[in-house]
Amino acid sequence: MFKRIRSKLHDMGTIKRLCERAEAHALHDQQREPGAEHFLLAALDLPDGTARLAFERAGAEPDALKAAIERQYGDALQSIGLMGNVPDEMPLSANPGTYQAAPSGQAIMQELAATRRDHAPLLGAHVVSIVAGLPQGVAPRALRALGVDPAVLKSSADAIVGTSVR
Amino acid sequence: MDDLRNIAIPTDPEEALAAVVALRRLADRIERGAVRSALRQGWSWARIALALGVTKQAAHKRLSDMAADDSPA
Repeated sequence: MFKRIRSKLHDMGTIKRLCERAEAHALHDQQREPGAEHFLLAALDLPDGTARLAFERAGAEPDALKAAIERQYGDALQSIGLMGNVPDEMPLSANPGTYQAAPSGQAIMQELAATRRDHAPLLGAHVVSIVAGLPQGVAPRALRALGVDPAVLKSSADAIVGTSVR
Repeated sequence: MDDLRNIAIPTDPEEALAAVVALRRLADRIERGAVRSALRQGWSWARIALALGVTKQAAHKRLSDMAADDSPA
């Protein structure tokens, strides 16, 4: 029982760090509400290192994800014939008040909550597995722009999660 | 500037919807940059709102942080 309480406290700390990093990535991306792609970037920042490991085992370079997210926006604009430079990034401040994620970010948090009994403890690889399972959106497009098959990444993350269960 | 007649709308819904997301993001960035410039030039929120075709309250609620971001550190 004591172990379970300790694990729960640990997971709360991980979720706090995940949300804070996701928000920081979103603000850097000039968005107030973090989406799934920002939670994926945040998972790569977690100290357990399992998200980065999942990327590496799937043959993807984790540090290239941010550029891939940007690239898929450019690709989408090019697909309709728009070329040109996107205005430079400008600082964005955090939303005052309660934490608010974008719908795709909310979906990640809801899935993490729904599967919390399987976390022992919560790892970056859990987040990677959920995001890589999304069928649509910026995150799967960015993964494809990165040259990684989301299904392969999900399998890689699930394998890491599987070996971490105690 | 691109001629809008040259814009090819993808028939694949996934591609078309991704373009919509990218366009919204681009529009947001253009809007924020323009509002920042306007504030630096002394525009009032009422004038910015009129130019954007929204109410002053709506413009201020969504973009008021531009004023805070713009203030000297």
